[in-house]
Amino acid sequence: MSSSTFAWIADTPISAWVNSSGTIWPTLESIHFVSLCVLVGSLLIIDLRLIGFYRERCASTVQFLIRLSLAAFVVNFLTGALFFAGNSPKYLNNSAFELKLILIMLAGMNAIFYRVRLSNLVDTNEVTRSSIGVGYLSLLLWSGVIICGRMITFYAR
Amino acid sequence: MSFLAYLEASAFSEWLLISMLGFPTLIALHSVGMAVAVGLSLMVTLQLNHILTGLSAQLIPKFLSIAVWGFALNLITGIALFVSRGQEYITSTIFLVKMLLVIVSALILFWLRRHLLRMKLATDKLVSNGVARGMSVVFAATWVGAVISGRLIAYLSDLY
Repeated sequence: MSSSTFAWIADTPISAWVNSSGTIWPTLESIHFVSLCVLVGSLLIIDLRLIGFYRERCASTVQFLIRLSLAAFVVNFLTGALFFAGNSPKYLNNSAFELKLILIMLAGMNAIFYRVRLSNLVDTNEVTRSSIGVGYLSLLLWSGVIICGRMITFYAR
Repeated sequence: MSFLAYLEASAFSEWLLISMLGFPTLIALHSVGMAVAVGLSLMVTLQLNHILTGLSAQLIPKFLSIAVWGFALNLITGIALFVSRGQEYITSTIFLVKMLLVIVSALILFWLRRHLLRMKLATDKLVSNGVARGMSVVFAATWVGAVISGRLIAYLSDLY
């Protein structure tokens, strides 16, 4: 994205709304962090099953957790988009932000791989090399997402 | 206050404030610890209150043990961050509210884990235990309150 695009975003009504009151930004941050905890909590239970921390047949539970983590991700994404709209220059040439987006995309691809290739495992006691790899990769990628998210402020120019 | 001033003047505190990576790394790890501790605590609350079903109740103490590790990371990094700005934080009402909520949450976390382990992991007893369910709701609320007050420190410290 070019700097003119960032400047255009800064002039949008959404940007003006985010900055229109002193309570909006802290409220968005609070929602962003609480939904992050829900996202990590639900993903941890799924990933711990994948790596063999426990071996229970729990198809319906995993379905519930996937829906919960998707809902939490949507809330995170929307609040994150509002941060971006409200202070877009902070994200211009910000390597922490760029890395965070890459890690989110990789985590999404990892989740799709799980969905396509491994979702049948939830109805068995089986733990495979692939499931262990997907589980650990998910934990690693989401930890990276959190770390990069916190680094954005420090890498802003 | 003189002890806090001594901590702020320490070599570690100085390194933390001037190094490029010290403060950001600690705050990032602080968030990872928070997400693990609070996230799993919320999932355990859902499980104890029959919203998250299908998993053995015997897993709850195991999940809480991982939450304890998350809390340990959160605590260690939190203390390290406090060293650099102790005098400012200790006079901030919102920081003290956060600390109170964290202490209540952590005490319930440890109590719940011990309580559930002591029940000899009888699945039916665990999920129907009213005290454990009630306490889990309290610690879900205090954890969420701690996360929110933690976010508000940056905005309200000057006011309260």
